[in-house]
Amino acid sequence: MITQPETVARFLASRESLIPEGGTRAVWRKAEAEGGCGVIGMAASERIPARHLLQALTQMRNRGNGKGGGIAAVGLAPEDWGVTQEILENDYLLAIAYLDSRARLEVERSYIEPTFEIDHARSLPGTDDSGIVGRLDVKPPEVFLYFGRVKPGAVEAFRKKNGLEAAAAPALPRNRIEDEIVYQNSYGLNRTFYASAGEKRAFVLSHGKNMLALKMVGYGDDVIRYYQLEGMRAHVWIGHHRYPTKGKVWHPGGAHPFVGLHEALVHNGDFANYSSICEYLAQRNIYPLFLTDTEVSVLVFDLLHRTYSYPLEYVIESLAPTTERDFTLLPEEKKPIYHQLQTVHIHGSPDGPWFFLIAQSAQAQGAYRLIGITDTSMLRPQVFALQQGPVSIGFAASEKQAIDAALESLASEDQRFWTHADLYWNARGGSHTDGGAFIFTVQADGNGPARFVCTDKFGRPIQASAPQEPYQARATAVRTGIALPDVPTPGLFAWARERLLGWDYGNLLAFLEALGRTAGNDHDRRRALEVLTLLMDRRYPTGSMRPSSMLSLFDQSLEAIVGSIRQSPSVAYAFVSAGNSPPGPSAPAQTAVIHAGGFAAQGEHSLAREIVRLYQRGFRKFMVTHARGHRFIANGLGPDTKGVSIDVYGASGDYLASGIDGAEVFVHGDAQDQLAQIMKDGKLVVYGSVGQTFLYAGKGGQAFVLGSAAGRPLINAVGKPRVVINGTCLDYLAESFMAGDPLEGGGFAILNGIVLNDQGQILEMDTPYPGGNLFSLASGGAIYIRDPHGKVSEEQLNGGEFARLEERDWAVIRPFLEENERLFGIPVARLLEVDGSPLPPAQVYRKIQPRAIAALQAEEAWVKMHA
Amino acid sequence: MDNRSRTAEQLVIEKHTERLRRGFHLWPGLKQGRPPALGDYRWTADLILSTWLQAETGMPPTNGLEHRVGNSGGGFDRLDFKFFPQDRWLPDTVTIDLSIPLNRRPYDRRIEIPVPFYGAGMSFGSISEPVMRARAQAAQVWKTFTCTGEGGYPESLLAYKDHVITQIATGMFGVREETIQYAPIVEFKYAQGAKPGLGGHLLGDKVTATVATMRESLPWVSLFSPFPFHSVYSVEDHKKHVDWVKTINPEALVSVKVSTPTDIDMVAVGSYYDGAHIVHIDGSYGGTGAAPEIAKKTIAMPIEFALPKVHRCLLQEGIRGEVVLMASGGIRTADDIAKAIALGADGAVLGTTELVALGCTRCGNCERGRGCPFGLCTTDPELSQLVETDWAAERLGKLYQSFQLQLSDILRRLGLSSIRDLVGRTDLLLYRSQEETR
Repeated sequence: MITQPETVARFLASRESLIPEGGTRAVWRKAEAEGGCGVIGMAASERIPARHLLQALTQMRNRGNGKGGGIAAVGLAPEDWGVTQEILENDYLLAIAYLDSRARLEVERSYIEPTFEIDHARSLPGTDDSGIVGRLDVKPPEVFLYFGRVKPGAVEAFRKKNGLEAAAAPALPRNRIEDEIVYQNSYGLNRTFYASAGEKRAFVLSHGKNMLALKMVGYGDDVIRYYQLEGMRAHVWIGHHRYPTKGKVWHPGGAHPFVGLHEALVHNGDFANYSSICEYLAQRNIYPLFLTDTEVSVLVFDLLHRTYSYPLEYVIESLAPTTERDFTLLPEEKKPIYHQLQTVHIHGSPDGPWFFLIAQSAQAQGAYRLIGITDTSMLRPQVFALQQGPVSIGFAASEKQAIDAALESLASEDQRFWTHADLYWNARGGSHTDGGAFIFTVQADGNGPARFVCTDKFGRPIQASAPQEPYQARATAVRTGIALPDVPTPGLFAWARERLLGWDYGNLLAFLEALGRTAGNDHDRRRALEVLTLLMDRRYPTGSMRPSSMLSLFDQSLEAIVGSIRQSPSVAYAFVSAGNSPPGPSAPAQTAVIHAGGFAAQGEHSLAREIVRLYQRGFRKFMVTHARGHRFIANGLGPDTKGVSIDVYGASGDYLASGIDGAEVFVHGDAQDQLAQIMKDGKLVVYGSVGQTFLYAGKGGQAFVLGSAAGRPLINAVGKPRVVINGTCLDYLAESFMAGDPLEGGGFAILNGIVLNDQGQILEMDTPYPGGNLFSLASGGAIYIRDPHGKVSEEQLNGGEFARLEERDWAVIRPFLEENERLFGIPVARLLEVDGSPLPPAQVYRKIQPRAIAALQAEEAWVKMHA
Repeated sequence: MDNRSRTAEQLVIEKHTERLRRGFHLWPGLKQGRPPALGDYRWTADLILSTWLQAETGMPPTNGLEHRVGNSGGGFDRLDFKFFPQDRWLPDTVTIDLSIPLNRRPYDRRIEIPVPFYGAGMSFGSISEPVMRARAQAAQVWKTFTCTGEGGYPESLLAYKDHVITQIATGMFGVREETIQYAPIVEFKYAQGAKPGLGGHLLGDKVTATVATMRESLPWVSLFSPFPFHSVYSVEDHKKHVDWVKTINPEALVSVKVSTPTDIDMVAVGSYYDGAHIVHIDGSYGGTGAAPEIAKKTIAMPIEFALPKVHRCLLQEGIRGEVVLMASGGIRTADDIAKAIALGADGAVLGTTELVALGCTRCGNCERGRGCPFGLCTTDPELSQLVETDWAAERLGKLYQSFQLQLSDILRRLGLSSIRDLVGRTDLLLYRSQEETR
């Protein structure tokens, strides 16, 4: 009998034959530099056609440069490939890219036939559509697919050669040996036909069971178009745009995804310790051939998961270790094993910014997974989402707008989907709270529908708390004849809010229809827009209806009203779209209603520049609808923009409201990264959460956030920004904050640590601030944190100190909480209520201020002496 | 004004100013020999004195002061030109073109400067406002540029805005939309060669009330600009960063200032593809006394290694013709400028040299509030008065003039009529052995 560690040792030893000629290298260098990238992954309880991934990738093209793109699919449909379910599940699917078609015979003779019994083989033809082929710089490889089983003789030979005859199931199941044979076989193929000197002729795209990866020089969406995969279905998809920066000649082999054995990985980021990871792998007889970060990432993943048989949790811990305060907060039973993992594997842990998406085929368990892992420091953008209706679908992506694009595409052809996810969230890298990783698992269940679960690193399930049925057009009774009361906006909103508790979707649709129908004149139009906006922005009990479904219906109503404005612009509303730009407002207070659809996300033809031009022509009020990741909204208006207001609907993009100086910007939904950078004055209201580096180097103004902020809000902010965040912040809140004294006109952030859920209930978070770095190195400003139970501790501070909330502090922050109440419906009285009883502010809020510096600077002392 | 109407403070300042200037005038004359303990191996006493002299006369010295190289035993001090024999020099009748374009892409605004150098970013805070103003004034006269550094845009610079580069560095102190809109060129400072990976810092001693107001921070509190930009961790973030600036000011050219890591060539290529017009690489020899010694001496690649590496990489990529490559970090003399260009740069960026022209002796007290005896690297309201803008601007102009003469002379001796023809001509350089340089 051979023990498990012994088996692992023999496996690793068997790879000695893989050591490249010329032995090992002293210094490992990446062949190409790449930092940037756009990634998206989706996993669903049903197989989803690739055309929806295509939409998401098309939307996110500005995260790549067309020099590399790829996709991977796991959990395929047998009929798409002309094989039986049995073959699909049991056979390895070798996808081989031929850059030189003459290499095929050689490859088949030396690497397919000796190892595999082939059950099915076919080519994957590329399109000859000149529109697609014409814009590709490099001809995509010819792809052949081989469905095959490892020959029994090969297994026996492997056992014999590596002294594994005594190791039998369950210690060493046959499929583990087969996996290793396939891995080594592909390695040999890649080395011979791709990585060794001379022509690059062929390489293995993927070789796992029930999975396929494809890549080429181009954008990720080009891969789907070129190989005509729009209709191909899979449970799990990942897609990638690459942004390599060096090299005149790009090869498809450098594009993502890279495969281990049964998993494909795409990545956004850049490692500082590439050489160290290569060294770590070399110690285990693993040598990269394609020389990119991504390749070594998946090699490490494969090593830990397949060779060492670590459970996913330990794999994730080895990649993104739990550190600092988070480590101390781990359950006691986890600490020793995490400590061991870190000790052994720290050299294989990527250092620097990264975000991995992995599509995994755990065919042996009948499971297909999408795994998203963020680095410990959370340096890359990432967002997760979940929609659970008749079909459950989960997403992870670089930008929320890519997720929304996929949902929009799905909803446009399949009624079981709608355009808003039930839940959007960010991972906290290397944390004790969620581990910075989420796993969507689709578990095939015989002939019945697949089960779908989402868990965090620790296996805790994530669920959209949405018991209500989603909207289904088929199942909805058509109702008519709803009469709206003739009252102003607040009254009508209250009227609807009260009634919708008893409504079904038919009633809601009738209400929205009536609201839209009366929108013929400006008075009614304004009221309709205002009521719709309140319905979108506010959280309230929704009775039998699903909040995310309702949001989709509100979007449709908004589209309809905007459509009517397009048809008949009025004194109050002018319509703007790409190629349709009015010369100026026809009346002084006219609102420019901009359909963002046709505008570019950045550059001269961007929405942002159009807003600047309209502003220069005299417009002051703007309403942007159908935003899809449009960046820099409200940027470039210049100084002194008091009186400008911009309402943004849809998925707005990065840098929104950066540098505003008086303008007011309202984001009706979640917002993305880098909002309000260097904001000077004005107001930003986000009816949702904000992404990374919110208010970086902010100078002033006011910001109100209904949800949470991701990492690093208010970093390096100076002057007098005043901010209310109702949720929390993942980490690094107000690092190097330098915003004067809040009692003397300086800046501050109020952190409420609450969740206003989608039924309008206010819930306390476990802790108002989970991070290990709060107000680090801050020299000015303050944080007012709602922490009645004193959960935030000294050790989270670095340069700050807790202080009692004085009357004067309350006088300063109270107006902001009152405005917060007006904007979001979060009553100040409720914030001051703890466990059901009202408390004085000083017992609810704590102040964090800079610790006084004892020593005077030499000059300071001199000036003070002479003052 | 007679003495009676002046305050005691003014009288003191006048006395000091007069004596300092007398010193700047007298010492390069070598009438008392070389001052003891002046300079260091890189900036030798001769280089400092000759720079003072050039700033006064507008000519290279003729009294034997070494004005071309220092004594570091490495870098530019080991390089020399392979001048042609005199009979092959270009005659004086041939006009030498020293101008360089700051945008070599076929689109976006055209900016050319008549001399192949402009002023480096030095912030209000690191230097005084009169010094900033003088640099801007000299840049205006010479139709070149100076740079704000990261400390805000003092209003007095607005008069020179067509010659002022707005820098956006990692702390974004004093950066507002209008300061980006003023600028014909916007510079992203990702790192400084003297202290790469360390961000920026202005110690509390120099953060006077005025400096703090400009940066909207607190007086006497040390200011640290983070490393890196927290909104830029990758090349597509950088693209977004560039797009951001172009949204605010679509007319501006974009410069990307980076230090010299080992993969500087990739950084340069990435910057180009992300829309930068100027790639500005800052080597390890620069930095004032405010940069930590250990960083100055041990991090980053020397500029003479980085330049050919980047130049050749850009050539291989086929994009050299669209990139303006500027070099900085220890460019002290006209010879250094020409050497940097021969190594592959289009032009050079001058920082410390300009301070030396105004009297800096490299005493290294730059981080202290009242540390600079010459009123340069100080924000102290009294010390700042030691420098008058017009006086300083004139000295800078004279230094530029001397550099112009010397660069023309170097080109003549190499048989070149345009500085653009010198770019990447490493074949015209000699590497001297240790013995030869002694």
